[in-house]
Amino acid sequence: MADIQLENLTKTYKDVTALNNVTLSVHDKEFLVLFGPAGAGKTTMLKMIAGLEIPDDGLIKINDEIVNIVNPANRNVSMVFENYALYPHLSVYDNIASPMRSKLYKESEEYIERAIKDVTTKMKIDTLYERLPSQLSNGQRQRVALGRCLVRKPNVFLMDEPLAHLDAKLRHFMRAELKEMQSSFNTTTIYVTHDYMEALSLGDRIAIINEGQIVQLGTGSELFYTPCNEFVAKLMGEPEINIIPAQIIRDKDVVKMRIMKQETLVELPEDVAEFFRHNKIDTVDLGVRGNDLSYSETQTDPEFMEGKVFVLEPIGNRSILTVDIEEHHIRLIVPNDFQKEMDSTMYVKVDLTDTIFFDGETTEFLVRHNQTNLVKGGK
Amino acid sequence: MNAHRLHVAGKVGRNLLLVLWTLFALFPIFWMVLITFKSDSQMFNTTFWFNPTFENYEAVLFKTDYFKAFLDNIIVSAGAVLVSVVVGVPAAYALARFDFKKKEDLAFTILSFKFAPEILVILPLFMIYQKIGVYDSYFGLIWVYQLITMPLLIWVVRGYFEDVSVEIEQAAKLDGYRWWEIFLKILLPLIKPGLVSSALLAFIFAWNSFTFPLLLTSFNVETVTVASLKYIASDTVHYGQMAVAATVAALPEVILALIIQKHLVRGLSFGAVKG
Amino acid sequence: MPELILKNVFKRYDNKNKKKNKEMLPFAVNDLSLRCREGEFVGILGPSGCGKTTTLRMVAGLEDITAGEIFIDDVKINDLEPSEREIGLAFEDYALYPPLNVHDNIAFNLRAKGISEEEIMRRVNTIAPLLKVDSLLKAKPVGLSGGQKQRVNIARAIVREPKILLLDEPLSHLDGKMRQVMREEIKRLHKDIKATTIIVTHDQLEAMSLADRIAIMKDGVLQQFGTPLEIYDDPANEFVAGFIGEPPMNLLTVDIRKKGSEFFFIFAGESISIPVPKRYYDVIADGMKVRLGVRPNDVFIGSEDSKGSDVEISVFEGLGEERRLHFRVGEEFLTLITTEKIMYKPGDRIKLEVLSEKTHLFDINTGDKIQTEKQ
Repeated sequence: MADIQLENLTKTYKDVTALNNVTLSVHDKEFLVLFGPAGAGKTTMLKMIAGLEIPDDGLIKINDEIVNIVNPANRNVSMVFENYALYPHLSVYDNIASPMRSKLYKESEEYIERAIKDVTTKMKIDTLYERLPSQLSNGQRQRVALGRCLVRKPNVFLMDEPLAHLDAKLRHFMRAELKEMQSSFNTTTIYVTHDYMEALSLGDRIAIINEGQIVQLGTGSELFYTPCNEFVAKLMGEPEINIIPAQIIRDKDVVKMRIMKQETLVELPEDVAEFFRHNKIDTVDLGVRGNDLSYSETQTDPEFMEGKVFVLEPIGNRSILTVDIEEHHIRLIVPNDFQKEMDSTMYVKVDLTDTIFFDGETTEFLVRHNQTNLVKGGK
Repeated sequence: MNAHRLHVAGKVGRNLLLVLWTLFALFPIFWMVLITFKSDSQMFNTTFWFNPTFENYEAVLFKTDYFKAFLDNIIVSAGAVLVSVVVGVPAAYALARFDFKKKEDLAFTILSFKFAPEILVILPLFMIYQKIGVYDSYFGLIWVYQLITMPLLIWVVRGYFEDVSVEIEQAAKLDGYRWWEIFLKILLPLIKPGLVSSALLAFIFAWNSFTFPLLLTSFNVETVTVASLKYIASDTVHYGQMAVAATVAALPEVILALIIQKHLVRGLSFGAVKG
Repeated sequence: MPELILKNVFKRYDNKNKKKNKEMLPFAVNDLSLRCREGEFVGILGPSGCGKTTTLRMVAGLEDITAGEIFIDDVKINDLEPSEREIGLAFEDYALYPPLNVHDNIAFNLRAKGISEEEIMRRVNTIAPLLKVDSLLKAKPVGLSGGQKQRVNIARAIVREPKILLLDEPLSHLDGKMRQVMREEIKRLHKDIKATTIIVTHDQLEAMSLADRIAIMKDGVLQQFGTPLEIYDDPANEFVAGFIGEPPMNLLTVDIRKKGSEFFFIFAGESISIPVPKRYYDVIADGMKVRLGVRPNDVFIGSEDSKGSDVEISVFEGLGEERRLHFRVGEEFLTLITTEKIMYKPGDRIKLEVLSEKTHLFDINTGDKIQTEKQ
């Protein structure tokens, strides 16, 4: 049980700044996800909390105590490594027992046996005690690594991309299992991933990290519905969110919008229009998800934009239709039995209900319809 | 059909060649063991048919101080390997894990010691050894043997350390182990194949060494290699006795070489670390 | 662009084991028959070891064919050398020649064939822009990104104007965004050059999005050959059903029970029951055990007064555009996906319903699809 404080953490490797003046507070028993692209600095942060790396600058506090120079062994943290780091010469049983056999965290053999039985039953690896890591499948190794981490009662669980090397089917299953186990953790957990589904599903809060800095910190809903900039918006969702340039056109009190270079001006939702009455921003980018676009073979109303089918990709329960409109590739979700020739004409319309408005120059979040209700973490 | 016949003919031909080569390569050793049983009188006028005798063995093993030489060899070779292990293993770890300026230059310099022909360095060494008083001593020989034993050990063990992912050590730290426990319980078992095989190989090289002991020792320390020279008498060369000296000296290495085979199993760390 | 026909093709590797009683190794490819139409984009899909790469290599001529025949446009190619077969192969690991620049890499085998420099220039300059490598012609492979190397790799295969284009796991070494981009480009490329193309992959998403028809293989045996939609909507057996579609189809062992004049699927220790669709009535019986397959999208939350089973939610995931509910069934989960904007907690109860047209039944022993009388 512990809360973790990172204050002004900085770390440089040769010429690369892995972490740049990062400050973060993790509450006791919180499940915090560090989410971001590869090389963003997430693993570095984890290793510094564990004490396996030393920061160049800044403070790491566990339970208000500065632990910068405390030995990793003495910090009482437990970690799952991305490549599992199982002891190759020890059996599954001995691997999981290892933390409880060290002088610092010693427990009796009876305790060890019970604890291992408990954790391995949950992980469904209780029939593998005698095997060596080399005799296990990837999924099994991953669970042994998790088991070795969870069998202790540390200040904090650190998990570094634990599901990364599993095949898709196993990943979905293990993610649901992890979530089911979460409630029984009762321990602060910091979880690193580059998979947005893991972040949204597991995190109480998510910290988006890019190039050594925290870009946004919030709940999954906050990040998904009100991302602070285009970078964050693009990280979440499959297919990637469409960014469509637009211009705000004002005529006295009437505020409308021109999408790209379309002739027809579109109406804005009232709360959005109100925002633009008070904020004189003209160039915007629209963040439009694949579900927020409607399509038609004919131009049923003037707001429909004309484009050419670039590519149609069936992906199972739906298809992704990419339409070229004014050289922009717009991706929308269509039913999986939808058929259309490449380069044929298609009409697409934006539904502004869930559209996110970004500043066209700074790419920062401006407004969206129904913002106040959403930001309360409602939906 | 033709392809199959050709295939079989090829196999037979290959095996025949191998057998011929094996006979050619092993013949000197076979001959050496043969002549240990030949008396001097029959040495030059017989080939394979003769009256075997043990007189050479008697002469060498009981009537000379062969056993002292044998013992000296053990002391010096084992001592050299021991020193190499104690110094070399931490050195290998440093080279594998840490990053410092001119690291690869240092590594290569260490390796280059093995390349240096002994004859090249022997003269200056002779004079230096005399000056600092380690001429004809165990210490002196063990020290100079490091040129032979240490580079090999460091090079092989470094490779094994590099194969152990650093995360395994980190996991052990987090489990609560101190550095010496990590070394003994985690690292040592994983580098054992490399350590054992390179130590045995180093022992064999040290055992066989001739130039260094020849010029850097005289009465106190005598290795079997140098001792074999004694059988060149003023009037004749007692080939039979020399052969005994060589055969008995070769025995330990042959046994050790057979042991190495079993320890070259490198399957241990495969699979425990993903990637 | 010609047809590619595989007729009862078998491949068995020699057992190089040194033991005396050498058993025959199982077939790597077992009685494979495929007919790829002119200009068609065919995907050979399956887990590692299923025989897909071996099949590709047999078509290319890099492996001997143990038995059976392969035809390109009615010409049997079994005994032709790879260079005589007029195929273009893009290797999985690119295999670009490091000392040559991009232009020379692409031109390499044209030069080997003795084609005139003029013709080579013409072809390279036509192909390069199609694959967006025209600005890279003077660069060497070492400085190129994964996506660029892959494009050069494919350009090199196409420039030979082959009858059949073979792509070996073209996207496997690319990361997320690059994969999406390359997928679209390969699809458009196929439309432009209209070559009969075979792609080999273990990624079902790749096969679904690119291929006109997909041949799924397992352990050397062809499981099903059909369009992405056919394979998705009507899998021939349990393996195909579980392999295609992400997230994977729910596959559960269920009992069939008769209540009155109706049949029900019963599982999760009797707590969940789903009415058996009428079309199966003629092929099932009371007390039968079957494997039930239903996709997470085809499971839905019934209204308060619906007749669906009352079940407890084990896990709730809010994933942005969709939400997933998981219900514990023994060792596994039954998963439901919905885009409704709702929130649940573990322990909440809902009424579970299944779209009856979208249920699949598989034989509990063979895994084969249980056909209804009409099919």
